Amino acid sequence: MMAALGAAEVITQLESAAKVLMAPPSMVSSEQRQQAEHVFLSFRKSKSPFAVCKHILETSKVDYVLFQAATALMEAAVREWILLEKSSIESLRAFLLTYVLQRPNLQKYVREQILLAVAVIVKRGSLDKSISCKSVLHEVGQLISSGNPAAQTLACSILTALLSEFSSSSKTSSIGLSMEFHGSCKRLFQEDALRQVFVMTMEVLQEFSRRENLSAHMSSVFQRWLALANQVLSWNFLPPNLGRHYIAMFEATQNVNLKPTESWREALLDTRVMDLFFTVHRKIREDSDMSQDSLQCLAQLASMHGPVFPDESAQVSYLAHLVEGLLGMINGIEIEDSEAVGISNIISNLISMFPRSTLTALPSELFSSFINCLTLLTCSFGRSAALEEVLDKDDMVYMEAYERLLESWLTLVQDEQHFPRGCFVQPAVQVFNSYIQCHLAAPDGTRNMSANGVASHDEEEINELQEDDRELFSDQLCSIGMMGRVAADHCIPLLTSLLEERVTRLHGQLQRTQQHLLASSDPGSVDRKVLDDLYEDIHWLILVSGYVLADDPQGETPLIPSEVMEFSIKHSTEVDINTTLQILGSPGEKASSIPGFNRTDSVIRLLSAVLRISEVESRATRASLTELLSPQMGKDIVWFLRRWAKTYLLLDEKLYEQISMPLSTAFGADTEGSRWIVGYLLEKVMSNLSAWSSESELANETVELLVTLVEKRERANLVVQCEGWWSLAKQFANRSPPLHLLSSTVQRSLMKALVLGGFAHMDSDTKQQYWAEVLHPLQQRFLNLINQENFAALSQEEAVKQEIVATLEALCGIAEATQIDNVAQLFSFLMDFLSSCIGLMEVYSNTPETVNLIIEVFVEVAHKQICYLGETKSMKLYEACLTLLQVYSKNNQCRRRGDASAEEDQYQDLLLIMELLTNLLSKEFIDFSDTDEVFRSQDQGASAPRSVSAADVVLYGVNIVLPLMSQDLLKFPSLCNQYYKLITFICEIFPEKIPQLPEELFKSLMFSLELGMTSMSSEISQLCLEALSPLAEHCAKSPDKDTPLCMATQHFLKLVFDMLLLQKHNTEMTVAAGEALYSLVCLHQAEYSELVQSLLATQRDAVIYQRLSDAFRQLSASSSPPTMDRKQKLAFLKSLEEFVANVGGLLCVK
Amino acid sequence: MADPDLDFTTAESGASATFPMQCSALRKNGHVVLKNRPCKIVEMSTSKTGKHGHAKVNLVGIDIFTNKKYEDMCPSTHNMDVPNIKRQDYQVVNITEGFMSLMNDSGDVREDLRVPDNDIGKEIESKFEAGEDFMVTVICAMGEECAIATKMMTSGK
Repeated sequence: MMAALGAAEVITQLESAAKVLMAPPSMVSSEQRQQAEHVFLSFRKSKSPFAVCKHILETSKVDYVLFQAATALMEAAVREWILLEKSSIESLRAFLLTYVLQRPNLQKYVREQILLAVAVIVKRGSLDKSISCKSVLHEVGQLISSGNPAAQTLACSILTALLSEFSSSSKTSSIGLSMEFHGSCKRLFQEDALRQVFVMTMEVLQEFSRRENLSAHMSSVFQRWLALANQVLSWNFLPPNLGRHYIAMFEATQNVNLKPTESWREALLDTRVMDLFFTVHRKIREDSDMSQDSLQCLAQLASMHGPVFPDESAQVSYLAHLVEGLLGMINGIEIEDSEAVGISNIISNLISMFPRSTLTALPSELFSSFINCLTLLTCSFGRSAALEEVLDKDDMVYMEAYERLLESWLTLVQDEQHFPRGCFVQPAVQVFNSYIQCHLAAPDGTRNMSANGVASHDEEEINELQEDDRELFSDQLCSIGMMGRVAADHCIPLLTSLLEERVTRLHGQLQRTQQHLLASSDPGSVDRKVLDDLYEDIHWLILVSGYVLADDPQGETPLIPSEVMEFSIKHSTEVDINTTLQILGSPGEKASSIPGFNRTDSVIRLLSAVLRISEVESRATRASLTELLSPQMGKDIVWFLRRWAKTYLLLDEKLYEQISMPLSTAFGADTEGSRWIVGYLLEKVMSNLSAWSSESELANETVELLVTLVEKRERANLVVQCEGWWSLAKQFANRSPPLHLLSSTVQRSLMKALVLGGFAHMDSDTKQQYWAEVLHPLQQRFLNLINQENFAALSQEEAVKQEIVATLEALCGIAEATQIDNVAQLFSFLMDFLSSCIGLMEVYSNTPETVNLIIEVFVEVAHKQICYLGETKSMKLYEACLTLLQVYSKNNQCRRRGDASAEEDQYQDLLLIMELLTNLLSKEFIDFSDTDEVFRSQDQGASAPRSVSAADVVLYGVNIVLPLMSQDLLKFPSLCNQYYKLITFICEIFPEKIPQLPEELFKSLMFSLELGMTSMSSEISQLCLEALSPLAEHCAKSPDKDTPLCMATQHFLKLVFDMLLLQKHNTEMTVAAGEALYSLVCLHQAEYSELVQSLLATQRDAVIYQRLSDAFRQLSASSSPPTMDRKQKLAFLKSLEEFVANVGGLLCVK
Repeated sequence: MADPDLDFTTAESGASATFPMQCSALRKNGHVVLKNRPCKIVEMSTSKTGKHGHAKVNLVGIDIFTNKKYEDMCPSTHNMDVPNIKRQDYQVVNITEGFMSLMNDSGDVREDLRVPDNDIGKEIESKFEAGEDFMVTVICAMGEECAIATKMMTSGK
């Protein structure tokens, strides 16, 4: 379009389009706007626009047009690179730079765009070495030495543009070059040009730091150079020989640590560099924007590591210099708010990056001043963070800084053995005390107190999505817990006495409130302030106690922390074990009322203090004061007890080098103490479940405590000996109040716990009796119900529906209890139900909530059990699932619903069905059942002929799902993902089944793949591409080339070909698309050649034609003839990348 | 419910329109009465006032007859009314003046139900005019009834 017009006309057209775009929205119609946008888009795509663009830049006065011209130049230069003469590129670059130099008053965004074009040209040129950075840097050097602020600013902008262009590979798709190209450009740049930039920057900063009284203008130039210095020091140095995938991964890391190559040694180990940044910071620290940069530069220097250090002593003296500089900077100043995060970053970097041996090699005085300084800073940031919380500030800078320092403490104390003995104890005491102080109300603490000492108290609305403090602050609590262990001598007794004191206060306050309530009939007159303050104190004390006493490692057996164990051992000679047990066993009494109360084991005493709180709570619920209690505190208590029980209850002496007598006497196997505490915990669970059925989170955590008690066999053995356990089991089996009030998730977990308990060690009579009380009533009630003659007629009665729902929920709970050693029994039990459930599907075909729950039962059973099942059992489950799906399909095929929730219900069903199918498929890659061992006793000699396979069920399921998967339903992201995951799985695992599908199903599967490839998210597109290779490979194996699948793959060849070559696509998809393309090319070589020929035939330009045909030849050279061979495939992928880099841009041009 | 040998056959007579349930025991996809209307619960969440406050349940429900949306919030310890919902399938044997003649499993015919004034209603009429054999699902709650779905007759049942 543009070529036909003269330059002047082009300018007129662009300027009027720019006018439209810049006009206020009310002045132009959206068509006009679209048209104007189109003008620019096609302008930027025009061929060889160099002359026109230069002309525009020189004559137009419209900034936006200038901007577009610069963009068009940049895009065209990259696109037509191989067609351009090297000299004309060089002159283009020179033109752009001179252009900017001569026009100091250009709009900022125009100037930056032109500089970006320069940077892109320089970078592209470095590939074929047609342009070197040197000449650009030379020109920059001249600008700097001119001393003119405008020139210096421009110099800085040029360098900034170069750095951002070379620093990353993430812009790949914008200039269509491979990751490897970006990588090698970057390596080249960081070895040489970057260091020159650094040296220049240091010189400029040096110059600025010497000047007194900077003018506002100079100060803004200063700021730009400081930001540039930060950019250099934050350079993510690319190590040599990093593969393409790793480059992407490497660059995705956020906090970049400074790890320069050896060649940087001289530049960075010069102490003047570090001194300069300390000086600069001192100079500008009151300017919050600039101080961010100067502190970040220091933080980067504090993270320096790697080959830049010649030896350890160099590292030690570097660190010593850094620490001295830092202490010099902090001491004697009042830290600005804007400095907090930066300073904490410096400290956190140096602690995490320098080896312990380097830290300990510091002169001991310097090291202890550093630790002192860190301690004071931590406490002070902690207090400021608490103030921020009171003021409810949006920007919590001190909180961030505080957390970073606490994290650093954690790193330090975890490596305690490397440091002088005991050197962290005093700091730990101080940090711990200040944390406790900030979290307790006056008079012990300063919680909720603003700077002037006034306490504030407000009640905000909290929704369920808001995280509990113990998750929200888990990092802080982890560090504080660790500090508490380091200073256990101080911290554990402190927590105990603070808690015990609050037990007394809470008890008294509840009594007073009760009397007040008796006297006045208005419950609204109760002042909750005192109670809430107590609850909040107790809340934090329990959280901290939990974190001090135990860890919560996922999936491992938690051990008693060695510090806690040692602490208990150290004092065991002063301890009277009987008094300790007496205090433990009497949670209803005041600890200090027991004679000899100060000769107790402190670790047990801390648990006892929490039990006392728990006892006050339980008694209050019995006195009908539940209304006054805090569910939050209730949660804290069961959370603590659960964490404690996992670690301490029935501790296994074999796991410890040394063991504390008091702990093993109180909580070891076969002890009075452990029996007592299990009984107590069960009582607590019962009490909570009846008092707190309305608080679902609390009820949930309570059942989780119960699950913890029975999920390990040793604990379960003890639990089932308790009276309380049996009565709980009976109550639940009878669905008697109050357990039936619990929410469905709680009921499931309760069922799970009861089933797990059934596998504890009991004599056979007892065991039989147990199952007779727990599982059999469930079965009996269910069978009685559904075997009634008129069950179909009764099925809609509310009582019947509730019974059915409760049974289905219980089945899910039973499935959840599956473990490798009980799967045999549970599977047989559940299988009986599954066939009845299919009957229920018929009866409740018009009751969507029930249908949904029935499918969920199957999902759970498949999810928990399929991986353990041997062939015969799997077959049974497959058959059951198949029947379920058949019934579902029959009931929904000719059914139309008109109610509002119809779509939502169907969405939920389909999601579950796909989950079920995916679970069944998972058998193909997770299978623990190779010998059918768990079932040996039952399965003897039974090897029935394999009637149904996972593939059959899954394909049948897909058959049901596919026709129902409307485009509308695919708009639900989770459904869409699950669907494509499923079909990709199928293509990968059973490619041989695909050609056997019924025609309609086959067609819709292929259509789904095409739809997913072309019009869904890139993630789904990738999944679909991954599904193509196995299909093509399967076709290649079969001699028959006329199959529908073979034809379909031919169609996909064209799709993938176009996608890779003609459309702009996401580079991360190149690999998946390339693999798919290769497999398809192998299969359809002739068709591929045709595609290439017809593409070439459309090229009119002889030069382009030649380039393209060369590129295609090179592409196939590495793999000719193409075969399904891994080596060849890899070679093809590599050439494909070069191909896309070289001619990808050409093909995209219209 | 406490009696494990509860005889469900007697449940039919005297069944009330609603029954109470503790708020926390309600479930998503279940039903509840909001603003005196039987609703399907489409959203259920909890909140509390202050960290140590007690849970409140926020409910969003859709009227099963009118598709109107209702919201309510109440302390989780309180009881809410849950409507007794019945769904029954009938064969459509005739339509006269906007009323359907519906036959149940046991061959009893009722003629008191209108063809609903919506898409399903149109579907019912066009199926009937086309002479198809088909069933409708009638939902019934709190004294109100309405046809909400159609289903082709399946041979086995």
